[in-house]
Amino acid sequence: MNTITKYKVFWAWQDEQEELWLGKMAAEGFHLQALVFPCVYRFEMGAPRNDTYRMDFLVDRKDYAGYLQLFKDAGWEHLGEMGGWQYFRTSRAGNSIPEIYTDRDSKAQKYQRLISILIVFLPIFMTITTRPIDPTSQFAALYFTGKLLGTFLMLLYVVAMIKIFQRIQELKKR
Amino acid sequence: MDEQISRYLPLTEATAYILMAVVEPLHGYALMQKVEQMSQGTVRIGPGTLYGAFAQLEKEGLIRMVKEADRRKSYLLTEKGKTVLLEHLRRTELLVTYGRMIAKEM
Repeated sequence: MNTITKYKVFWAWQDEQEELWLGKMAAEGFHLQALVFPCVYRFEMGAPRNDTYRMDFLVDRKDYAGYLQLFKDAGWEHLGEMGGWQYFRTSRAGNSIPEIYTDRDSKAQKYQRLISILIVFLPIFMTITTRPIDPTSQFAALYFTGKLLGTFLMLLYVVAMIKIFQRIQELKKR
Repeated sequence: MDEQISRYLPLTEATAYILMAVVEPLHGYALMQKVEQMSQGTVRIGPGTLYGAFAQLEKEGLIRMVKEADRRKSYLLTEKGKTVLLEHLRRTELLVTYGRMIAKEM
């Protein structure tokens, strides 16, 4: 079976674009087979299909098997997970696009779970970025690089949180 | 008690159908099919929405898990859930009755 591996950066607030992209790939005959690493997808090449891809974000894994079973029963194939994101696919066609979330409230809750996880990492970055550097230390340059990287990552997290927060607000207003 | 019950009201359309469906023990997929049938296709519940709703309603004590077989959990309406549902129906009936009256004059 022919496979290709594709690298694509995925931003946490662009999950819907990601779903559309996976659907477009399928329409061109590239079907998601596995999630290799973050941002690395493996596709199986075959006949074009009109599939729908959806991503869920799961935190509480007490009943993971039951969760997957429910999706399976409802016609969703689980393709794997990456950093809490659950990738699902369905070939089910009808007059409406199949959805895993059928109301705005539950969809907003998905993004609230995402935010709750992002917030956990913030104090770590804050600690890294606010720690004073001893300029006489032989590792000063290394610390400085770490601080720069930490600052960059923290900014990214803040941007992600703002974007996701906006998504939640959009879903909550009518 | 009224205060207690009001906390859960009004129910969303989907939640009302979920509560009505679990007057008999049902697992997720069976419930999705039943709701679609009961609502004549007007209400569809996706697995993501249902998974969260089950967890939420169980936490609130409106439904309880009665069976787990082959990774499928079945739920049943509790007494509290029944009270909430009946109050929701009473309020909805008022709304519909009054609405019909108004509609006649429109």
